[in-house]
Amino acid sequence: MSGEESFSRRLMIAATMLLFKSHRRPGVRGWELKHRLGKNYMRVIDALNSRLKQLGLEIKTVFEEGEENNLDRARFYVVLSHPLTMSDLVAAGWRIDEVAALSITLSILSSRGGKAPLRDVLEVLETKFPKWKAETYLERAIRRGYIERLEDDVLTIGWRTKVEIEQKALLKAVLEAREEKEIRSD
Amino acid sequence: MRKIEVTREELERIIKLCENIEKRGLDPFTVNIRELLERLRRIIEENPNLDHYVVDAETLYRISTLIALQHKWLREKARALFIDAQMISTRLTAMDKKTLVKAFLKAWHPIISLEQMTPQRLRQGLEHFLSLPPRSGSREFGWKIADREMEFVKARLKLEEKAMMEKIKALHRELLEKFEEKGEALDYWEFIKGKDFDETFERAYLLSFLITEGYVDVKRNPLKNEVKLIPHKEQVERKSPTSLVISLRGEI
Repeated sequence: MSGEESFSRRLMIAATMLLFKSHRRPGVRGWELKHRLGKNYMRVIDALNSRLKQLGLEIKTVFEEGEENNLDRARFYVVLSHPLTMSDLVAAGWRIDEVAALSITLSILSSRGGKAPLRDVLEVLETKFPKWKAETYLERAIRRGYIERLEDDVLTIGWRTKVEIEQKALLKAVLEAREEKEIRSD
Repeated sequence: MRKIEVTREELERIIKLCENIEKRGLDPFTVNIRELLERLRRIIEENPNLDHYVVDAETLYRISTLIALQHKWLREKARALFIDAQMISTRLTAMDKKTLVKAFLKAWHPIISLEQMTPQRLRQGLEHFLSLPPRSGSREFGWKIADREMEFVKARLKLEEKAMMEKIKALHRELLEKFEEKGEALDYWEFIKGKDFDETFERAYLLSFLITEGYVDVKRNPLKNEVKLIPHKEQVERKSPTSLVISLRGEI
């Protein structure tokens, strides 16, 4: 097998590993990629990333807390590189209400350093939804991994939020969204 | 004595306060660290005894955790562009659902991943399916198995069980005869050996029941790599039974 053939084969292996869920959670650890692709696995990942970008996807690397340089322990995911539109969201089966609740919850948590009492989050959610609905949406967000519920009813940012959401961008968008509304009303 | 109790209570209050802030993710800057440390110094100076030192150390540890939390809080705030949490809450309350969703979509990059079926998953699914309780009273024995079919299966199982018991009894008799003939413990491998691998496997399988039930004792000598069998006419109760794994390979 020529060098080029071997590299394209490794590209295929990397794509399969990253796109197919093989654990309970999606994503692959660096050491798993190293095991299958060899010690230069980052070269393969970079090449795959540039190809995925042409399709509107990209590879995201999420480091373990406190191990910001340890690629072997980091998790690699394929995420959508461009933002979804409202119609994409509905077509994907999401409810506007549910995403709005998620947006509120994650904005509160991000603005408070990643942690907030459940009561405080519910207080804001209940300005938009009935209590039972707010609780259902929170439960679903916990199940999906967007938030975690700690003891003493404290909510914290979950693993999926760390991968999928740019928290700074979310807060900025929340602030700007209001400004846009003000400009429109003017 | 009363004074000691009061200072101890005060220290415990400080510990609780620090714990609360840490656990509930509250703003760590709401506490005046300097004041807490001054109070702690005063308490240490007033109560120089070992009992107090333990609580003092715990309090100092909690206060230092709070300082670490302040550091983390500042870092997070800087990351979040020092946006005030209260301001965000107010804005969120004022925004309508669609605007909230639009803001969320700007920051959201969902994971792309596909579920796939693996042999393990299929097996898990089958096991789960078989363990499901019956749907209703009319189908007593599970999905799509009628009562008559179940009776038939039960009768067949009974027959098979009877045949197996006969085989086990025959093997027990054979074992006892060979033991009396030889007058010493029998070699396991020699005994289970049949015409072919299937028969050897069957004999080993049946023998395992006799061993488990206490009709046969097994003596293992790891130095000589020997496994010996000592049969009993009657069932023997064991005080501390242990498990022994013997693997069979096709080359026997």
